[in-house]
Amino acid sequence: MAFGLSTEVIGMLAFTLLAFWGVAGWALVRTLRQEGRKVEILRHQDRMDTYSPRALAELGEWIEENPDDPLVDDARDRYNECVETLRRTDRHFYDWSDEEIARLERR
Amino acid sequence: MAEVPSKTARAEWGTRFGFLMAMIGAMVGAGNIWRFPYVMGNNGGGAFVLAFLSLLFLLAAPGLMAEVALGRYTKKGVIGAFRDVVGRGGMVGLGVVVLMVNVALMSYYSPVIAWTLYYAIHSLLFTFTAAGFEAEAFMTGLFENSALMIGLHTVVMGSIAAILALGIRRGVERIVVYAVPALVTALVIMTIRGLTLPGASEGIAFAFDVQWEYLTYSDTWIAALGQALFSTGLGWGIALTIGSYLREYDDVPLGGGVFTAIGESSVGILAALAIFPIVFAVGVEPDAGAGLAFVSLVQVFPEIPFGGLVAILFFVGFFLATFTSGLLITEVGVTTVSEETRLDRTQTTLVVCGAIWLLGLPSAYSVDVLDYLDFVFGNWGLPLATLAIIGVIGWVVGPRRLRLLAVNRNAGVYVGRWWDPLIKYVIPTVMIFIMAYFAWENFGTPEMIGGMLVIALFPIIGYAIMSVLEGRGGRPDTAGVTGGDD
Repeated sequence: MAFGLSTEVIGMLAFTLLAFWGVAGWALVRTLRQEGRKVEILRHQDRMDTYSPRALAELGEWIEENPDDPLVDDARDRYNECVETLRRTDRHFYDWSDEEIARLERR
Repeated sequence: MAEVPSKTARAEWGTRFGFLMAMIGAMVGAGNIWRFPYVMGNNGGGAFVLAFLSLLFLLAAPGLMAEVALGRYTKKGVIGAFRDVVGRGGMVGLGVVVLMVNVALMSYYSPVIAWTLYYAIHSLLFTFTAAGFEAEAFMTGLFENSALMIGLHTVVMGSIAAILALGIRRGVERIVVYAVPALVTALVIMTIRGLTLPGASEGIAFAFDVQWEYLTYSDTWIAALGQALFSTGLGWGIALTIGSYLREYDDVPLGGGVFTAIGESSVGILAALAIFPIVFAVGVEPDAGAGLAFVSLVQVFPEIPFGGLVAILFFVGFFLATFTSGLLITEVGVTTVSEETRLDRTQTTLVVCGAIWLLGLPSAYSVDVLDYLDFVFGNWGLPLATLAIIGVIGWVVGPRRLRLLAVNRNAGVYVGRWWDPLIKYVIPTVMIFIMAYFAWENFGTPEMIGGMLVIALFPIIGYAIMSVLEGRGGRPDTAGVTGGDD
């Protein structure tokens, strides 16, 4: 037992540091790395994909289900912008396969 | 849209790190340093940590994602964001409610920053380690010296105005990218100093001993709930304002939600590690608030090797924590008033800071006034602001729409459907519960009456102001997105 602390206290201290500083550090490193990748992509092209495959699929599904929604035009613009960008650019931020891109249609 | 001529292109954060540090700088304040460690130690230590952590993930991180996303989606301050959502008319007054709560909060927070500034200056003068120093008399002397407090309050608001006038990138971002790392570094060095003192383990045990039975006490969960919601500044308009300056391809949920909620709480954990080993090593009773920072710790510094230097680290770090919060709280008003009037940023900064300075004079003059306002706005005013922002997202914009249009766009992590009911039902219910709980606990007291007046009058004032200004008699037009999606 370090410093005369019980195993339970040491375990809790380790868990707390991991759960807080570990998660915060992971999030910080991950988001800064992603930022670096985005900057790198935008050095080669002026636009970048804005949705992951799962997020774009859900957006498309919502557009289909809510054709009269006040925000559907905005949603459609965002959907189509991502589709166009995926078709016209070589480098993508999210993990898009060529097959997935080929299957996409404008809404 | 406000009928105001376009001034210049809207500012943006210069770097991702700048945005992240702005979020942390805004949310880490006095509460992380002088409240969190004591609340943690007194509510079951490790058991409290588990309750707190679960509520951070369940409420604070999702709520912050929503608030930042609304700011990013509308690219406007609190009033403009509400107008975009509810349409022109009296209901935009909910944005005025958030603005008024922020101004009120800053009016009594500025004197708190003034205290930390005063102690930081005296730490640099090695006052606390001088022979014959009396901690309690020193603190009382400051609190009772109204002229000095008003002077310090003036210096604080003047400094904030000077920085905010420089703008988002040249002012706010330049400060926070240095201030937040400096605060963390100061606490880390203080932790190392504390842990190497004989008897430090008692402090660690006080904070991290797991008393499992506390997880069955409602008081533990209410304390954790209050800490998770108030410490992260959820729904105060700060995250919305900071999010409104995000760049086109920036992520919201990972940085604005997870990193902010967990990162700012990590500073509280670090403060516990920095403070309690030192306090227990010297055998001083742990405390919270001004008693901890300005009496207990000040008594401890002369007793430990290099105490004068540790005092500098602590009080300069403490000042940075409160000052960066003050900057971003004030930015809420500056952003909004600048958008809603024909004033330029410098003029707006002077008007907003001048108004806060004027309203802050009673709190600077008397600690009793400060305590009263802190209680009233802490328990009812801030939850009212949170209810306004999260309520509008949950019930007017609709969480699913916001998630699809703003949260998951350019996101670093995918946010699924689980998020929607949290925003629509859970957070608003929790805020109503908090306001009702504190009203019940303080039934009939002057604080409770003040709180009820805030809850009743602020929305009426906000509604009346916007009804008159927008000239529509409070009827929303079709520009809003009313209708919800769920």
